[in-house]
Amino acid sequence: MLLASGTCGYGQEYADLIPLDEIGGLVTKAVSLEPRPGNPPHRVAETPGGMINAIGLENPGLHGFIAEKLPWLREHLSRAQVFVNVVGHSAEDFAAVVSGLDGEDGFLGYEINVSCPNVKGGTMFGTDERALADLVARLRGCTERPLVIKLTPNVPDVGDFARICEEAGADGLSAINTFPGMVVDISRREPLIGNRSGGVSGPAILPMGVYATWRARQTCGLPIMGIGGIRNAEDALQYVLAGACLVQIGTASFVDPGAAVAVHDGISEYMTANGVARLEDLVGALQARPGRGPAIPAG
Amino acid sequence: MLSAGGGVAAERAAPLSRRARLLSTRLVARDTWWQEFDCPDIAAASLPGQFVMLGVGLDEPGAWLLPRPFSVGWTGPGGEVGILLRAYGQGTRALAKLEVEQTALLLGPLGRPFDTESAEVECVAGGVGLAPFIFLAAREAAAGRRVRLIYGERDAAAVFDPALIARLTGHDPELFTEDGSAGRKGLVTAGLDPASGALLLGCGPTPLLRALAAFAREHGRRLQVSVEEHMGCGIGTCQGCVVRGADGRWVKACIEGSVFPAEELDWGAI
Repeated sequence: MLLASGTCGYGQEYADLIPLDEIGGLVTKAVSLEPRPGNPPHRVAETPGGMINAIGLENPGLHGFIAEKLPWLREHLSRAQVFVNVVGHSAEDFAAVVSGLDGEDGFLGYEINVSCPNVKGGTMFGTDERALADLVARLRGCTERPLVIKLTPNVPDVGDFARICEEAGADGLSAINTFPGMVVDISRREPLIGNRSGGVSGPAILPMGVYATWRARQTCGLPIMGIGGIRNAEDALQYVLAGACLVQIGTASFVDPGAAVAVHDGISEYMTANGVARLEDLVGALQARPGRGPAIPAG
Repeated sequence: MLSAGGGVAAERAAPLSRRARLLSTRLVARDTWWQEFDCPDIAAASLPGQFVMLGVGLDEPGAWLLPRPFSVGWTGPGGEVGILLRAYGQGTRALAKLEVEQTALLLGPLGRPFDTESAEVECVAGGVGLAPFIFLAAREAAAGRRVRLIYGERDAAAVFDPALIARLTGHDPELFTEDGSAGRKGLVTAGLDPASGALLLGCGPTPLLRALAAFAREHGRRLQVSVEEHMGCGIGTCQGCVVRGADGRWVKACIEGSVFPAEELDWGAI
């Protein structure tokens, strides 16, 4: 299990609150080639069953990340695996960040963010089959480290884009990023968020993330990190059964910094209670037959 | 850490996440509750100006509520953490309904505290911006020091019970209401003394903080403000609570504040 990008900073912020080395790892806040100041406020708001954010990928840039953030990760984490989330305006930007980081220690691999709804062109690569294939192939040539593509749900069929990533040489997928959304302030008759629109996360998007994971599992053989709306072990196990071999905890950490630990422990309890020896036995173990409604009686 | 007032600032403790029992809740003004939680280690670690994120956690099936930031309003001898909660929207209304013996999730202490080291202090509070000054005034009184506590509200119904303030802080606030229905009539800034050289501390709505910044600039006064921003996490990860710094950066209210020396902020953009 990993803490999701954009919800755990660069790890240090959670060091006093949870045992990072015991939960699996984390995905850093996005890193771009140049520093980004981020969007003007208002940047976050609660929504029914979730939240909306439009941070605008604020980050210190490649060199700032290497100088200010990576040393802490390298020196303080031993078992936790770190993926660096990478963003860019162009294929050249993405490639420059990956190439610039590749000789550094302190992280395992990359999560390529082709799916941010909060910046101009943020989903450009994630919604164009040809552009995505070219980008993944290019980045494959830049690194031998694990290359995970974070998919956007804003496409007709996530499965098509999952298959493209596999064919172009990716090692894994993260499914899914946020959904674009908007909150209207009816007293001022204007958007609530400074960026006007933002990305919606939280429990409201759980079924969409599970579905995207299932579709990706059907069309490709890549390992999938399930992400979107996970609050507890039951939510995480839906992703696992749909095909995820790892899960990421995002917005739930804001509600309870210990959410990832509780999910981790809850999955172990489920496995013990159900006689499951290895989590792999559950990955994609969803029966593809028609559903029959809740197993417990109504009322 | 940075020293906001020129003195040596107290060391900030690492944040703690604790499920805490609500010991008491009391309606103290219109839509406004004083809640005390049983949370000894956060109480012991808190400094005036710091805040907690208060939420219900993830245990309640179907419940979904992002935690909300509240100034630590007081810490009691038995490990109580007091907060002043005004119900503005869905989240604060839900938290206001917490009942005694129910538990909530507290994350804190968070943020940068006021730096009042060996300074004469005037606290200027608008509305529930009073909360951090209850804590500060109580601390000062316990140390045998006095602060000036100037407190403004819209009208008498919104005023936090002055007797309770006096009991908690050992100070009698100088009260202003906009309509004159309690205390002196006028905005709280009417209580400012241009001749004083005291360190000004401000907490309340943005127009109040802006007026205080203008006053401080005009009279050469040192000012620290506690800003109120919507927050997702309170610990710097979501980057949702930014305000414009004087150097043009977006600064995070949660970890770079929420207390700022006035000169660190761009008042033209706030």
